[in-house]
Amino acid sequence: HQTPPLWLCGLRGSRRRRVAAVTPSSAAGTHHYDLVVIGGGSGGLACSREAAQLGQKVAVLDHVQPSARGTAWGLGGTCVNVGCIPKKLMHQAALLGVAMDDAGKFGWSIPGPVSHDWSTLAQAVQNYVKSLNWGHRVQLQDRKVKYFNTRGSLLDRHTVRGLDAKGTEMTLTARNIVIATGGRPRYPTHMFIHAWTEVMFGIFNKVTFALVKSHGQNLSRMEDCGASVYVGLECAGLLAGIGLDASVMVRSVALRGFDQQMAQLVTGHMEARGTRFHWGCVPTSVEKLPSGLLQVKWTEVRSDLERVEREDTFSSVLWAIGRVPETTGLNLPQVGVQLHPDTGKIVVATDERTTVSNVYAIGDVAEGRPELTPTAVKAGKLLARRLAGQSNQLMDYHSVPTTVFTPLEYGCVGLSEESAESRYGKDNIEVYHAFYKPLEFTIAERDASHCYVKVVCDRAGVQRVLGLHFTGPSAGEVIQGFAVSVRCGLTYAQLRDTVGIHPTCAEELTKIHITKRSGLDATVTGC
Amino acid sequence: MHKLAAASHPMASDAVTRFDFLVIGGGSGGLAGARRAAELGATCAVIENNRLGGTCGGNVFHVFWKVMWNTSVHAEYLHDHADYGFEGAQAHFSWQLIKNKRDAYVSHLNQIYRNNLDKARIQTIQGNARFTDDPEPTVEVSGKKYTAPHILIATGGHPSTVSDEDVPGASLGITSDGFFELESCPRHSVLVGAGYIAVEMAGILSSLGSKTSLIIRHDGVLRNFDALISSNCTKELENSGIDLWRNTQVKSVQKTEQGLNITLGTKDVKDKDAKEKTDRIQGVDCLLWAIGREPNTAGLNLSQMGVKLDPKGCIVVDEFQNTTRQGIYALGDVCGKALLTPVAIAAGRKLAHRLFEGKAESKLDYTNIPTVVFTHPPIGTIGLTEDEAIRSWGKTSVKAYTTSFTPMYYTITSRKTKCVMKLVCVGKEEKVVGLHMQGPGCDEMLQGFAVAIKMGATKADFDNTIAIHPTSSEELVTMR
Repeated sequence: HQTPPLWLCGLRGSRRRRVAAVTPSSAAGTHHYDLVVIGGGSGGLACSREAAQLGQKVAVLDHVQPSARGTAWGLGGTCVNVGCIPKKLMHQAALLGVAMDDAGKFGWSIPGPVSHDWSTLAQAVQNYVKSLNWGHRVQLQDRKVKYFNTRGSLLDRHTVRGLDAKGTEMTLTARNIVIATGGRPRYPTHMFIHAWTEVMFGIFNKVTFALVKSHGQNLSRMEDCGASVYVGLECAGLLAGIGLDASVMVRSVALRGFDQQMAQLVTGHMEARGTRFHWGCVPTSVEKLPSGLLQVKWTEVRSDLERVEREDTFSSVLWAIGRVPETTGLNLPQVGVQLHPDTGKIVVATDERTTVSNVYAIGDVAEGRPELTPTAVKAGKLLARRLAGQSNQLMDYHSVPTTVFTPLEYGCVGLSEESAESRYGKDNIEVYHAFYKPLEFTIAERDASHCYVKVVCDRAGVQRVLGLHFTGPSAGEVIQGFAVSVRCGLTYAQLRDTVGIHPTCAEELTKIHITKRSGLDATVTGC
Repeated sequence: MHKLAAASHPMASDAVTRFDFLVIGGGSGGLAGARRAAELGATCAVIENNRLGGTCGGNVFHVFWKVMWNTSVHAEYLHDHADYGFEGAQAHFSWQLIKNKRDAYVSHLNQIYRNNLDKARIQTIQGNARFTDDPEPTVEVSGKKYTAPHILIATGGHPSTVSDEDVPGASLGITSDGFFELESCPRHSVLVGAGYIAVEMAGILSSLGSKTSLIIRHDGVLRNFDALISSNCTKELENSGIDLWRNTQVKSVQKTEQGLNITLGTKDVKDKDAKEKTDRIQGVDCLLWAIGREPNTAGLNLSQMGVKLDPKGCIVVDEFQNTTRQGIYALGDVCGKALLTPVAIAAGRKLAHRLFEGKAESKLDYTNIPTVVFTHPPIGTIGLTEDEAIRSWGKTSVKAYTTSFTPMYYTITSRKTKCVMKLVCVGKEEKVVGLHMQGPGCDEMLQGFAVAIKMGATKADFDNTIAIHPTSSEELVTMR
């Protein structure tokens, strides 16, 4: 039985804050709420909606701390506002740009030059994102989830403090608390940057920097664009697709953690289409020139002994160097919630529980979890069901399919070839592969040399599929169904035994028969 | 199973050349069967009276199809460009340009087929095949005789036509074969038929700028597909600006200087008392019959051979592709079942393994064959329709999950299209026995799900698979 301590009611210390009336408790028993979720992103919203649907009394706190450039956004989290959604729409715009080149070969003649207007696209995307913000608010209302646009923190394991933009404070008590505050881009700190206003966004794993040379384009909304290793490439790719000049600077490898052969096909395609890559380079400074352009200096590390200093000017610089978990200000260590010493993310068990038994964490803020919307959503839903006593099912983080929306899309599920090799041994895996040519590339006379499928199998017995990889158009749409079959224990024979759909790119995955081991030419010919 | 002759040369005795495997028809099924058999050591010959590759790749369809579909997809993109920020994209279409490129690509494919056959040392015999009266099954082509202990008929099919007796002036129209001979985009096209060929052609012509009418006998298209697809596709056709005539048949066709005049009769078949209404479409420069396909069995002299045909003239086979005559097999479109290239190819290969590798059980499973129809937007389907499932298992055992949404691509465009999806599940464990969808991307989406469904996936398997975001395909693993 807990009542809010007196000191929260405005009598604390010398700073007096206006205290908003706390929502009275009813069905929640001794607490105001059965569940309070801090963070209204993919994970937080899914969890709160599911819990409410199961009869729990739920509140969600969501608040976006403005970025260094002063950017903030509405309800929905990274995915909706500055992640998957705007990214995919911009990627689509880029694909349309490329399609226009192809259209000519298909008999379409477009008289006159075609140009792209960034503000039209940005406005259209913003309008859609705002409609999603609104949609989420309405949905919460419909599900009777109480929504507070306040910054949450933990006072103790059952008490959440909310602070809004005006400084109004409130407290809520909850039986269970879920932290789903996600992450934010990492800003470079190891180098000297004069132009802080140009610092953009970040990606997980800190290895890719993206530099953009454009012509007076305002890229401010590119900020905070993504959550994973691939963001830098996706952004450079989509900028190139709409006609902007983009370069990518990479310290070591692109798409770290992904299958490296596939990563090279992705970047190879981008290079073939004109995106400049600076491999093995580390920026040392960024300075704003009187002209308004940015002068970037960097070191090209050719070997341990050979380092070359370089410089160039750009209109914009985008940092995609990793993301940091949004845990500051949550007051977690004081309450006993342990953070990982290296990543700073919240340490969780297989049931998403933190080191405090009624406090949970899901999504990007949790240690060891994929930084993906669908895993946060599913984990949130399953957690809600467990908290409502409706289920014991835990989230299964194995064989998570994903797609990188670079100009040549890459979709995959399961293990990379390297992972399979290290786990099973090179002699114990069989890798089937093929270079294919999408039919739409033929008439368009497009370079298909990076369109490729690869299936990594256990060499023994039924040859279970360990990993499946595909570069080509519509990779996201192609891979989803295969992910279901991998989940069901797909074997090589089952893959080959499925009748192909003709003519599609996806069918190539059912036709693969050349192994890497054989050394034979893996190029598909004819029909 | 019998051991193959070690020699790789056919044996000629008297006037009859003998092979291990004689294939009549050099289309998808015939070529696949011959190539696999040759790989397994059989001496093979393929008899073809036209271009290698058959309906699919040699002459018409498949490649042409998808290329034309891709062409029209560009038309759709061009409409959306302004919404995505592109300025100045007003386009004109050149039919001639795409026809030339298409023809060049198909010639290229023909050459590949020929090279593949030559590499495999499969003899190709040009001409029309006909079974003789000889006691052992023997085929004659241009005066020469050929025989084999195993003869495969894979002659495919051709578009059905309407006779001038039934509909005066019917022969003024063309079929899908003729579509690919068109030198320019018709100003005004009238298509007759409600199957997938009619619907695909109507969509392509319409988006390339032809004023298009579609005449259908009943009130919807694709009536053999799931009801969701049938109704959604019919709606999409109308939404795209195609002039749809329901419950209508062509009565007669006249040729005038301004083009064809087509007289139509409309009568709701469900209303017994309704009178037939007559209408006319004038100034049509292309009438296209797409009312079905017939098997290429005439001229083979099959009745002589004891090879049974069904009432439609399709060759009757068992699950192993055996006809009613020992040593003669048939597969592909000539059997009238699952008229698809990959099916013919798979059946051809399975047969080769059965005949020449001793795999007595080798046969194709004809259930759960995935199909894509290249409409706008494309349709993907596999397995049973909801009605078929109910007929087999009863209404209480069948649960259908459906969803309908606007794909994200259309959230910022003025032109919009929906995506509809249905999972048909059976039994307590909710095994997925059918998947039906129409929407952008469904053509590339279906293959992976086909693998899973063939493996016996349940709704729970679908639900336990993590979604890929943002895609349209993820809707299939998050259905409620």
